Amino acid sequence: MKKVRFEKVKRTETIKLPYMLDFYPLEDEKNTRISQFFNNLKQGRLTTTRCKKCGKVLWPPRIVCPTCFSDELEWIDLGTEGELYAFTEMRLGAPLGFVEDLPFCIGIVRIGGLSISARIDNAKYEDLKIGQKVQLKIVGLDDGRVFYRFDAVKENH
Amino acid sequence: MRKVAIVGGGATNCGKREASFRDLVQEAGKAMFENVKNISPKDVEALIVGAAQPERFAFQAHVAPLVAEYLGIAPRKVLARTELMCASGQAAIRYAWACVASGMADVAVAFGAEKMYMPDMAEAQTSMTCVLDREWDGINGLSAPPFFAMTAQRHMLDYGTTKEQMALVSVKNRHYSTMNPLAQFQKEVTVEDVFKSPIVAPPLNLFDCSGITDGAAGVVLVPAESAKKYTDAPMYIIGSGQASIGNAINNLASLTEWIPLKLAVEETLRSAKITLKDIDIAELHDCFTISEIMEYEAFGWAKKGRGGKFIENGEPYIGGTIAVNPRGGLLGCGHPLGATAILQALDILQQFRGEVPKERHVGGAEIAVTHNLSGAANVHSILAYSRSVK
Repeated sequence: MKKVRFEKVKRTETIKLPYMLDFYPLEDEKNTRISQFFNNLKQGRLTTTRCKKCGKVLWPPRIVCPTCFSDELEWIDLGTEGELYAFTEMRLGAPLGFVEDLPFCIGIVRIGGLSISARIDNAKYEDLKIGQKVQLKIVGLDDGRVFYRFDAVKENH
Repeated sequence: MRKVAIVGGGATNCGKREASFRDLVQEAGKAMFENVKNISPKDVEALIVGAAQPERFAFQAHVAPLVAEYLGIAPRKVLARTELMCASGQAAIRYAWACVASGMADVAVAFGAEKMYMPDMAEAQTSMTCVLDREWDGINGLSAPPFFAMTAQRHMLDYGTTKEQMALVSVKNRHYSTMNPLAQFQKEVTVEDVFKSPIVAPPLNLFDCSGITDGAAGVVLVPAESAKKYTDAPMYIIGSGQASIGNAINNLASLTEWIPLKLAVEETLRSAKITLKDIDIAELHDCFTISEIMEYEAFGWAKKGRGGKFIENGEPYIGGTIAVNPRGGLLGCGHPLGATAILQALDILQQFRGEVPKERHVGGAEIAVTHNLSGAANVHSILAYSRSVK
């Protein structure tokens, strides 16, 4: 019987975190029809779509109203200051791309009549209170993509 | 529509297994076929496989034909995979049930498998964080633990539920799981143990959370009229309910009251022609301790906001108002997503047959429900089972 040859092969080079696993959406007009949302964010405006026909405010932003199926939607501002409805702090079990951020706070923020989830910066869990004011903040990646977070507003006593 | 019976099934041991996705499938398939006499793989006309994220956990798509091949099944009527995240297994049972009830198939297998342990667990957590709307909620790091942590925070604030009451759910379910050889967790825990376990996302400690689990299970469904050909002790599907409201956090009906579950309960009772009092065993989806507390309330065994008192008073133990999770629950048995509902069904079958250890046997049980929630608790699914054909 012929001697079986052993050969080492390299595992594929270290892969950088792929686009679809970094959790950020593909935001430009080539990839989404709601790129206006992200353009607005770049100007410090948190916005969403409202149906021109039935008046319904939709979150997440849409291109079609699910109530009346109109595609005539307009962008409205939600404001820049919200209030914490609930919050926690991620301490264990973070996904790829978040591990270095541990621990970090997450909350449900009431803003412009909506209740949206968001990262809460500028505070530890112990410092936060339900009902606390939070201020809109825009974060940006090197590749130009942006997203919103909120900074806890420190109370002055 | 024909009445449908489950005539047997089998499962793997669950936990951190030294086994691959394919190994788990084979173990459960063997156990299932060995449990049902007079049915061999060639008799199976429909195979539905519940699997939440094999693409991510095992890097394998198109798993229904893979399972069919490994089990020696060559379906001629229906083959598909179901994904409804934590309720993927219940979706499989529902579809298999529909196949048999409609007359599309005379022998159907509802199977579930999930391999969740990976060399880098951050990779597994990535999969768990694309369950909620990934672009609007997942992006904030919002996976199940922080979501249920905020649910618990609000429930504690609005209704006075305590961390101790939550811990008591874990104490109960991990008590029962010590009597379940399939269970991931085989040791009793105390309230103090729960408090001392690492904090995952306050107010939730590690023992407030169900595990990351490898496991697989399958059950065989046939028309009720031919059930006795295969077993002396079949169990019958007598009703179901399922409801879903919203998906993104902003569009949930409520954080602290599970309206879709209340709707699913109503539909289950209506379709099964039973009342709450008729239910002897409830296998509820205790993915987190707070979940089970809110489920006592939504089913109606406890008044709204009184779920914490319900466990404090021992009501959900065997012998109490309702035996909840005598299998050991997800907290005790682990939660191999696609397999969980199949494992629940299998344990009810064994309860009816008197095949479980005496200390966790609900004697004389006639009717049981199994429940799964999925996503941000925006989806709730229930099946009702009976020992006798109704």
